[in-house]
Amino acid sequence: MLAHDARLSFRKIAADLGVTEGTVRARVKRLQAGGLLKLTPIVDLSAAIPDGAGPDDAGQIMVFVTITCAKGRFDEVREGLMRMPLVRALFDANAAPRLVAVCMVATVSAAGGVVNQILALDGIREAESEIVLQTVKYNAAIGPIATLEDQA
Amino acid sequence: MGWGWGWRGYGRRVGEDELGNLADGLGERAARRQRGSALDEVDRRIIGVLARDGRAQSTTIGEELGLSGNLVANRIRAMDAAGLMRVVAVADYRLHGYKLLARIRLKVSGRPPVEVAEELAVREEVLSVHLTSGRFSVSCLHAFRTAREMVEAARLVSAGIAGVEDVDVELINTVYRYSPSVGPLGA
Repeated sequence: MLAHDARLSFRKIAADLGVTEGTVRARVKRLQAGGLLKLTPIVDLSAAIPDGAGPDDAGQIMVFVTITCAKGRFDEVREGLMRMPLVRALFDANAAPRLVAVCMVATVSAAGGVVNQILALDGIREAESEIVLQTVKYNAAIGPIATLEDQA
Repeated sequence: MGWGWGWRGYGRRVGEDELGNLADGLGERAARRQRGSALDEVDRRIIGVLARDGRAQSTTIGEELGLSGNLVANRIRAMDAAGLMRVVAVADYRLHGYKLLARIRLKVSGRPPVEVAEELAVREEVLSVHLTSGRFSVSCLHAFRTAREMVEAARLVSAGIAGVEDVDVELINTVYRYSPSVGPLGA
């Protein structure tokens, strides 16, 4: 129920599920504390591009950048990527030394800009970028939530 | 969480807060119709607070931003009704019984990639599917319940789907950041 509307009252959820409000409250709290549930606003793609968006504005164009790090430089590259706000998701692929950064930018030129910023990081051996042309499926209600950033 | 919204081009709307404070629910909706589908500075500040606490009370948000609780409640309701913003609960894939995540990219030949993507999309364990530029035309995020499924991923993914020429499976070991803030709410 919260997946569709995370602001529903706990009383309404409890009534629908036939449990007490306290139970709902405690369960949600426990999952949140365990880093397994996040209640977060999602902006629709149609509203994500403001007029006059600049190169630093988050937007609706998604770019995947797959980065191969030079030997021994993985941590340095990862830290550099974590400092970039347009990198909305970051994970490793087939373990080190490969990283995949998902960037959300507002314009195609901003996409070029963020890829250049990534390429300018020290310790990168190779980077491959892919622009998302069409999203066929995207489920905002499930994802890898327990990330290292949240635990920090 | 850094939002990076540096919205410009709304300079003309000085005094929006005061105006907004006077607006009742109907007035809000009329104002939004005039603006079209865009979110304005006030909306974005409200979203900024919700990003920290998705269940924050309207009055609390109002106090922090110097707005009335009524205005905040109306704004949230209007954004939701227009399908522009929704506060959702994002559950970790492990809560759904999955153990492993992989990024799987496919090369497609002799067939429109979108058809392959649509066949993948109906599978529950495929969490997202995108068509991309580059070497691979389809990219998806795939969850697995067991290690055996993961080992057989390349075969399972192409099984029964025509036109898949090559499959590249990358196991995701550590997720360093995941902050979805933008997405297709209708899909």
